[in-house]
Amino acid sequence: MATLPQLIEEDIQRLDEALRDFLTQTDATVALLIDKGGFLLTHQGDPGELDLTTIGALSSGAFLASQTIAGLVNEKNFNYTSQQGEHASLFTVNVDEHCLLVVIFPSKSGMGVVRYYSTGAVSRIAQQLAAARERDPEGGLDLSELNVADPQELFRKKPA
Amino acid sequence: MAIINQATKELQVKIVYYGPAMGGKTTNLVQVHDHVQTAAGNKGKLVSLATSSDRTLFFDFLPIEAMTIKGFKTKFQLYTVPGQVIYNTTRQLVLRGVDGIVFVADSQYEKMPENVESFQNLMDNLNALKINLTEIPYVLQYNKRDLPNAAPMEYLEFLLNNRDVQVPSFGGTAHKCEGVFESLNMITRLLLQKFINQSVPQYA
Repeated sequence: MATLPQLIEEDIQRLDEALRDFLTQTDATVALLIDKGGFLLTHQGDPGELDLTTIGALSSGAFLASQTIAGLVNEKNFNYTSQQGEHASLFTVNVDEHCLLVVIFPSKSGMGVVRYYSTGAVSRIAQQLAAARERDPEGGLDLSELNVADPQELFRKKPA
Repeated sequence: MAIINQATKELQVKIVYYGPAMGGKTTNLVQVHDHVQTAAGNKGKLVSLATSSDRTLFFDFLPIEAMTIKGFKTKFQLYTVPGQVIYNTTRQLVLRGVDGIVFVADSQYEKMPENVESFQNLMDNLNALKINLTEIPYVLQYNKRDLPNAAPMEYLEFLLNNRDVQVPSFGGTAHKCEGVFESLNMITRLLLQKFINQSVPQYA
């Protein structure tokens, strides 16, 4: 299975810049970049009490379900999904093969503005991901000090 | 695929609980959620997208933080798939980006065809994602050992753990939290072992 490109801190900084600019343009509350597997890669804005991990996982599932429906009706162009609420709205748009941009914004801001400016943001994000894909980063996280032979170091059950 | 986020110093891993309908996948997550010992704030909400009769419709989801490895927080995302045969498309969606699998089999004699069918379905769905089962760490949990019509463990091993490389397997009674943490800890160990051997996945 194809995977995300290897991203380094510089990539994340550029991605965050693109998200910040997008938030300024749209007055959106939070913008999340998520992997289609449900992982939150980075976000900008003030999430307050929002559980971004769960929002990322659910948004990914909902978007992929929508894509599957697109396939069933022979449509290749279900590029975004949106939910408009009374106070808060959600917009999810495809970035590339691996990533999605999820935007939470006040409903009074209007979906049109978010959708319009998302085109530029998606383009910048996709370019950065493409640049990362062409790079060949070195090194990795050294996990060798972790004692994986000791299961007690992992998940522990509360004593009864 | 697991993601290392260099900026936030996080390692994110996705584990999927797979198996036949009513086998105990959701119960495993509920037990982990209820009994795991974590620091405050390290356990997320258990989210269930279920029907009115508590059958999993899309997936259950539990984010949980387990440990710090050399300064990196390790975040696990536990998912279940809906076991009912008709929801195969959903199972494929949930498997996207999977790092490890806990296959929860139902030990009851009459459930053996469903166990075998579900395991075959798992391999088919992994193949659709261009993943070979041998590339993915997985463990087997033979659940419902407390029922009188449970088949012997050897029989379940013969049916489900009969490949070239045998994987770790556990008896379980998920509703009593037996075998739940054993399975989760073992899949976690296998995953981390894989990462060490491969000098790891992607970066974010």
